[in-house]
Amino acid sequence: MSPDGAARPAGDKTGGDVMSGLDAVTAGGVLTRRRFFESLAAVGGMSLVLSGMEALGFSQASATELPPELTGGAKNTKVVILGAGLAGMTAAYELSKAGYQVQVLEARSFAGGRCQTARKGFMHTDLIGNTQTCAFDEGHYINHGPWRIPYHHRSTLHYTKLFNVPLESFVNDNDAAYVYFEKGAGPLAGKPVRKGEIAADVRGYTAELVAKAASQGQLDAPLSGIDREKFIAYVVNEGRLTKDLAYKGTEGRGFSIHPGAGVDPGPGKELPPFAFKDVLDSNAWRVLSSVTGYEQQRTMLQPIGGMDQIAKGFEKQVGSMIRYGAVVEKIKQSPTGVTVSYKGADGKPAEVTADYCLCTIPLSVLKQIDVDASAPFKAAMAGVSYAPVNKIGLQMKTRFWEEKHHIYGGHVYTDMPGINSITLPSYGWQGQKGVLLGYYMFGGEAARISAKSPADRAAYAVAAGQKVFPEYAENYENAFSFCWHLAEHNLGGWAEWGENGRKESYPILCQPDGRLYLAGEHLSYLGGWQAGAIESAWQQIARIHARVQQA
Amino acid sequence: MTFAYRLAALAIAAGVAAPAIALADGKSLFNDNCSACHQVTGKGVKGAFPALAGSPLVQGDPKLLTTTVLNGRAGMPAFKDDLNDADLSAILTYVRSSWGNKASAVKPADVAKARVAAKAVAKARGLQAH
Repeated sequence: MSPDGAARPAGDKTGGDVMSGLDAVTAGGVLTRRRFFESLAAVGGMSLVLSGMEALGFSQASATELPPELTGGAKNTKVVILGAGLAGMTAAYELSKAGYQVQVLEARSFAGGRCQTARKGFMHTDLIGNTQTCAFDEGHYINHGPWRIPYHHRSTLHYTKLFNVPLESFVNDNDAAYVYFEKGAGPLAGKPVRKGEIAADVRGYTAELVAKAASQGQLDAPLSGIDREKFIAYVVNEGRLTKDLAYKGTEGRGFSIHPGAGVDPGPGKELPPFAFKDVLDSNAWRVLSSVTGYEQQRTMLQPIGGMDQIAKGFEKQVGSMIRYGAVVEKIKQSPTGVTVSYKGADGKPAEVTADYCLCTIPLSVLKQIDVDASAPFKAAMAGVSYAPVNKIGLQMKTRFWEEKHHIYGGHVYTDMPGINSITLPSYGWQGQKGVLLGYYMFGGEAARISAKSPADRAAYAVAAGQKVFPEYAENYENAFSFCWHLAEHNLGGWAEWGENGRKESYPILCQPDGRLYLAGEHLSYLGGWQAGAIESAWQQIARIHARVQQA
Repeated sequence: MTFAYRLAALAIAAGVAAPAIALADGKSLFNDNCSACHQVTGKGVKGAFPALAGSPLVQGDPKLLTTTVLNGRAGMPAFKDDLNDADLSAILTYVRSSWGNKASAVKPADVAKARVAAKAVAKARGLQAH
């Protein structure tokens, strides 16, 4: 639950869809959400409030819906924030709004942290010394950091709305996109196949098996207590089966001749289904599950013009508090304050002193900084690993995937080493050119590709894409690749907590050490997501504020 | 990709245990999987990636070293899903005996044992991340 009791006036519509569940208890706006829960508390105490919230579908979820209300004054307190990524800028925005004096130190010359977008002129030098300058045409870009916002990341969406960052749909699932699996067997292996065809066939054939077994009484035992006829009706509907419970394909999987005018093409010609064995042998079914994982569901969103529009939205509010090019070297604490030593943009050493420090530096980087913290706190920093993550944007001179293959956004999944997925852009449909994501690889395979020069990475990505799209290589113009583990000030794409680390190290780092508080995606269960950074910052500033109120 | 690596990959794909003999070539496996950060020289990158040459951790208790590569630690990524026991043992043996390092070889069976102890069973990576 959020520090302000998760209660907001019913008229506050920032809660979005959750509000609809409240309509029943807010008739005429007389009974506000706060008053409703307060009245429950008066009668049955806090446990009744919690169960009441549970019943309304709030519960803990509402804790992350809105920033904490930092009421009661800042008492002339100064907070130094390390890092101007989304966690740092969230904290700077909310704390300064509540009256705190805020100073942000940012190692880079721009704000956003991992919330970056590469477009014409964007420069990056990695730790190996590869320097790239993005040469995409005007209007084209690649989000080499975060690139999509799930509909339920209400914290991120809170700020996109607040800062007027316009959003558009990010196509995260496309039945027309190809699956290309080389390591399977049979006639479909090593052949681009549309995801919808695989889905229709594997589900259709499965439905046929189940429907036939059920209709012959073979499932009576497991079906006990379930209406058999209704179950069969469902399976027929699910698999698009014929009346005799057979799967013979379905128009939804596509046509070899599309339906059209007159008698020719007229009704068109449906594509026949693949053989069940071929589909199973191909491995392509690995891209399918009963429902998309929670973090990958539709609707998915992206800021129009690049993810860094969110960073710029924050920067407009807090930019004046940020000292750029400030590389933190030492964090020292006393019983009354915190002193942060850093190297300034001019190369000269400098210091900032504050009452509290909120540090959003990734643990992969922080562990190499001289931090004045307790031994268990420092040991806990070693309890996490960071993911090697690669992305590459490839500018193509035509949008052949739209024109020739009729694929508008979405992912081509593949088992080609080092590629994982090729993603067609969700911006600029039917334009002349486009930048697609040539690979999005994480883990050990990403480490392997990142050892290559930028030119070799691009050549590798283009050769892979050519296996899926015959037009790939001839359309390729230029590339911009990014390896997060080779990026100074990041040293990894996101924190990965193992079972032990989550149990033993993570809880220690969620607590303050003296006057030092940590925040970032690494201190959340939304690891790698911008929402994790924002909500971690919310949680920590609420703690700082509560402490200031008590002091 | 080296021939040895391809063989090992085939062995994994076919679902059979990789041969326990040192088929895998430690040097090329290291260059492939590790050199982006630790460099082919084993010197690492100052302020970012630790040097392996002369490293007490690398030349110390092989179990701790193996667990570090399997599960990751202090920013180092986890390789449990990417390297099988034979490949990892070849890599560890290589780094423990290169660039002036002088430490004993690590056998595939040692890696297997460390994997069980560290609960670092390899599993297929999901297609989607963030």
